[in-house]
Amino acid sequence: MRQLKAIWLALPVLALAVTGCGSNGNNGNSNAAASPDTSASASPSAPSGEKVKIRMAYWNKETTVQSLLDLIKQKLPNIEIEYQFIENAQYDNIIGTQLAAGSGPDIISVGPPAATQYNKLGYLADLSSLADRFSDAGTSVYSVDGKLVALPGISWFEGIYYNKEIFAKYGLKPPKTFEEELQLHEDLKKNGVKPQAMGAKSFEPMMKSSMGLIMNEFLSQSANKDFDAKYGKGETTLEGNWNAGLEKWSELIKRGYLTNDMLGIDYDQALDEFATGKAAMWESGPWALEAIKQKNPNIQLDMFPFYGSAEGPGWLIGGPGVGFAANAHSKNADAVMQVLDLIATPEGQKAFWENNQGGSSYLKGVSFDMPAEFDGVKETFQAGNVYAPWNNWGGSASSIIEDYGKALQELLGGKSDVSSVLKTTDKTTARLLQLNK
Amino acid sequence: MNRTAREFQYGLFLIPAFLFYVLFCVYPFATMFYYSLTDYSIAKQTGLHFVGFRNFSEIAHYDLLLAGIKNSLIYAVLMTVFQTALGILLAVALDKKLKTRNVLRSVFFLPAVFSPLVIGFLWNYLLSTSDAGLINRALTSIGLDKVNFLGDSDLALYAVVFTQLWQWTGWAMVIFLANLQSISKDYYEAAAIDGATSSQQFWRITLPLLQPSVSVVSVTAMIGGLKVFDIVMSLTGGGPGNATQTIMTAYIKTSFDEGFYSFGAAYGVVFFGAVLVLTMLLMQLLKKWGGSNR
Amino acid sequence: MTSLSRKGRTRKGNWPLEAAMIVLAVLFFIPIYYLIVTTFKSPEQATLHPLSFPSSFGFAHYRDAWHAMDYPKVLGNTAIVAVSSVVGIILFSSMAAYSLARREHAVNRVIFFFFLAGMMVPFQMGLVSLFKLINSLGIMDTLLAVICVNIGGGVVLAIFLFKSFIETSVPLELEEAAFIDGASVQRTFWLIAFPLLTPVTATVAILSTLNVWNDFLNPLLFLQSRDNSLILLEVYRNIGQFSVDWTSLFPMLLLGVAPLMIFYLVMQKYIIKGVAAGALKG
Repeated sequence: MRQLKAIWLALPVLALAVTGCGSNGNNGNSNAAASPDTSASASPSAPSGEKVKIRMAYWNKETTVQSLLDLIKQKLPNIEIEYQFIENAQYDNIIGTQLAAGSGPDIISVGPPAATQYNKLGYLADLSSLADRFSDAGTSVYSVDGKLVALPGISWFEGIYYNKEIFAKYGLKPPKTFEEELQLHEDLKKNGVKPQAMGAKSFEPMMKSSMGLIMNEFLSQSANKDFDAKYGKGETTLEGNWNAGLEKWSELIKRGYLTNDMLGIDYDQALDEFATGKAAMWESGPWALEAIKQKNPNIQLDMFPFYGSAEGPGWLIGGPGVGFAANAHSKNADAVMQVLDLIATPEGQKAFWENNQGGSSYLKGVSFDMPAEFDGVKETFQAGNVYAPWNNWGGSASSIIEDYGKALQELLGGKSDVSSVLKTTDKTTARLLQLNK
Repeated sequence: MNRTAREFQYGLFLIPAFLFYVLFCVYPFATMFYYSLTDYSIAKQTGLHFVGFRNFSEIAHYDLLLAGIKNSLIYAVLMTVFQTALGILLAVALDKKLKTRNVLRSVFFLPAVFSPLVIGFLWNYLLSTSDAGLINRALTSIGLDKVNFLGDSDLALYAVVFTQLWQWTGWAMVIFLANLQSISKDYYEAAAIDGATSSQQFWRITLPLLQPSVSVVSVTAMIGGLKVFDIVMSLTGGGPGNATQTIMTAYIKTSFDEGFYSFGAAYGVVFFGAVLVLTMLLMQLLKKWGGSNR
Repeated sequence: MTSLSRKGRTRKGNWPLEAAMIVLAVLFFIPIYYLIVTTFKSPEQATLHPLSFPSSFGFAHYRDAWHAMDYPKVLGNTAIVAVSSVVGIILFSSMAAYSLARREHAVNRVIFFFFLAGMMVPFQMGLVSLFKLINSLGIMDTLLAVICVNIGGGVVLAIFLFKSFIETSVPLELEEAAFIDGASVQRTFWLIAFPLLTPVTATVAILSTLNVWNDFLNPLLFLQSRDNSLILLEVYRNIGQFSVDWTSLFPMLLLGVAPLMIFYLVMQKYIIKGVAAGALKG
C-alpha cells in the first residue's frame, strides 16, 4: 500500500515538473512548411500585449491551410489561431453538438448544407459586409435570405490523376471516352501495372467516380436539367433513371479494374500506391498534390476528367468548396472579423490557394494560374463542366451520398446489384425527407 | 453510538459517488427518455412537441439500425464467449509454476494498455491489403492469397473481433488470475489425495470457484461488446457497406450526422432496454451456475 | 494414484506448456514489436524488411512527434486528469460499495441496481444534454470537466468490483468489534476495512487508469483549446498531418501509449503480489 501511495503522490509532482520545464514550445520546427520570414517577424515571445485566442475548426489537416495560418500570424500578431482538426467523418457530430450547447469554435468551416442549417438555428454571424468583395457565383451558395453566412473558399474539384511516366513507358494516352478509359485499364493491366489505386474503404471515391460517368451520360442532358433539384424534393428516384449509367460504370468492377481488395485500402494508402508508382491512376483533387509530391518529388503527373460515351470536354466533380463562417456567440467577435477580413483580401486568398493549388478563388479580380499538373482538365474548366449533383439534393445530401457510397461498396464486394444500390439510396432519401417534414 | 446515527453515517458514504453518477451519467441519459417522445432535432431545438411513440415505430423500418443491432449482438456474444474462455485458459496456464510466467503475463496484458484509437490505426496497417499490411505479406510469402480482412463484408466484423480479443484477453486473464490465487491450495491437495486428475481438478474445483470473476468478465464483456464504438470507428468506420455498423455507430450516425436527436434517443432507449434484459438473463444464468456448484 | 505421481507428471508437463506459451506470447507481441521497430525505420526499410531489427536508431521522427504534440504539456495534462479521476473513483466508490455491502436493506438494494444499470447505459446517448450541462456549469474547456465525467462514469464498475470483494473477502468481525468500542462508520471504514481492500483497489486503479487515459470522445468534446489538450487528442490531431509518411506516424502512436506502458510495467509486479497477499489474508 505504501508503495502504491508513493506513486500516486509522485505523479502530480512529476507532471508539474515536466510541464514546468518544457511547455513554452510552439511547434515551430515541426513542419517543413513553416516559412522563415514569419518566424522572424512574429516570434512567440514578442511583447505585443494580450493575445486573443481564436479557435478555428476544419475537417482538413493543418497543412492544407498552413500558408494562410502563417499569414494571419504575420499580419495579425495579436491574434493566435488555435487550429482544431476534426476528421471529416466526425466533423458534423462534434461541431453540431458544440454549437447546440452554445459553444463551438469561433471560426467554423462549413459546407453549403451545414451553413444553411446553422444559420437557421442562429449560430452564425452576418458577414454581409464582406459580400461585395466576392463574385455572385461564390456568395450565392453561402447566402440565406440575402445574408452572407460564410466566406466562400477556394473551389474544389476531383478528376483522375495519371502518372505520365508510366503512360509514356507503355505508349498510352489519356482517354477521350469512357470506353477508351476501360481499354486503358486493360492495357495497363496486361502490362502488369495496377491501373488504378482506390481507397474504397471510404464511401467517397466510388460515389464520385460513378457520378462522374452519370454526369456525362445522364445529368448533362437538357431533359434532365432539373433532375437533382427534383430528387432533393423527393419528386423522382435514382432507380429507373441512373440504371444505364451505373450499369456501364460497373464495367470497371466486372472487368476487374476495381477490385474487392480496394475495400481494405484507405485514402492514405491509395495515395501512397499512386505516389510511389505502384498504380498508374488515382482519382483525387488538388488537395492531394502536395502530399503526392512530398512523397515522390520526381513524379510526373497530369489529370483527366470523367468521360462519357461520346467525345467531349468531360466533367469534373466539384463545387464551391469550404466556407468560413463566424460563430454568432464568439467572445472575440472583433478579432474574428479581423481574420475573416484578411481572408477576404487577395493576399489571404493567395495564401489559402497556396496549399490548395488548382482551385479558383471567388474573390473579385483574383485569379490564379493553374499548375501544370492540371493541364489535362483545362478544357473541362473552359466548358464550365464542374459539378457535384448532391449540392442540389438539399440539407440531408451528405447522409444520402454516404449511403449511396456504402451501397456501392456492397456492389464491389459482390453483395448487391445496380438496381439494389439505387433502391437503397432512394429509400434513404425518402426516409430523410419523411423525418424532416 | 446509537443505531440511527450509524445508519445515517452509512448513508453519507453513498453521497459523493451518487452525486457524480447522477449528475454526469443519469441526468443526461434520463433527458433522452424525454427527448425520445418529442420531435427534437438539430433543426428544431426549442418549442418541442410530444409525438408519442412515432420515433420508436420508425426504428423497425431502418436497415442501418437493424444491421447495427445484428452486428452488435454477434460481436458481443463472440467477445463474451472467447474473452472468457481464452482468458481462463491463459490464466490457468500462467498460474502454473512456469519460469517465464511473469514476463508472459506482462506480454499478454500489454495490448490492453493501448487506446482503441491507437489499436485502430495500428491494425489498420497490419490488416490492410497494401504493402504496409504485415499479415497479408506473411500470407503471400508462404504462397497464400491475400485476405481482405477489413474490406470483405463477410470478414470485417470478425477481423474487428480478432483485434479486440488480441487486446482484451490479457485483461480478462489478469482478473481470472487474481481469482485463481484466492483459491485455497487445500482444495487441490485434498483432491489429489482423493486421486483426482488435473483436468478433473480444473472442472470440479477451479472452474466453479472462478464463478465471481467469470461473472465480472462475461458481464462487462457483453455490455462492452454491445456498446462497442471506438475501435469500429477507427478500424472500419462501419463499412464496408453496413457490414460492421454497430448499435453505437448507427446511433451516432442517426442522431449526430443526420441530426435526428429524438429518433436517435428512441433507438438508445430500445438499446438500453435490450441490454438490461440481456444482462439480467446472463446474471441469472451465472447465479444459477454459482448456486448449483455449492 | 498418489499425490507424488501427480506432481511428477505436472513437473514434466510444464516444459511443453512453457514452450507453447512462449510461442504464443511472441505471436502476441509481434504487432507491438512492429510498432516499435518501425519508428526507427525509413519507409523503404519498413517496406523491405518490416520485421528486421532497425539497423540504426534515429530519433528524428521522435523529435518531430515530440514537438508537434507539445508532449511535455499534454503529458502533464493527461496525468492530472488521470490521477484526479482515479483517486476520485477509488475514494467515492469504495465508500459507496462499503455502505451498500454492509447495509443490505431494500433501499440500498435499489440503489445498487441503480448504479449497476449504469454499466449498461450507453452514455453517448446523453451526449447533447451532457454537453449542455458542462457548459452551464461553466467548466467547459477545463480539465475539471473531463475529470467529473470520468468519475461519474467510473464509479459504476468500481462499486461493482468493490462490493463483491467486500462481501466475499472482508470479514465483519473486526468491524463489529470496532463498533462495540464505539468507533464511527468513517473510522471503521478507513482504519479497518479500507486497508483490507488493497487488492481490489489496485485492480480498480489499473482498470480506471486505462479507461480514463484511453478515453477519447469526452476530451474531444469537452476540451477545445490546445492548452488543455491531452495526449490522445494530439495523436488524433497530428495523425493526418503525418500519414503521408506512415513511418513518422508510428513514433506518435508509441508516444501516445508509452507513459501507460511504463506505468503498467512498473505496477504489474505490485499488482500480482498485492492480489496474492490479499487473497491469502481473505
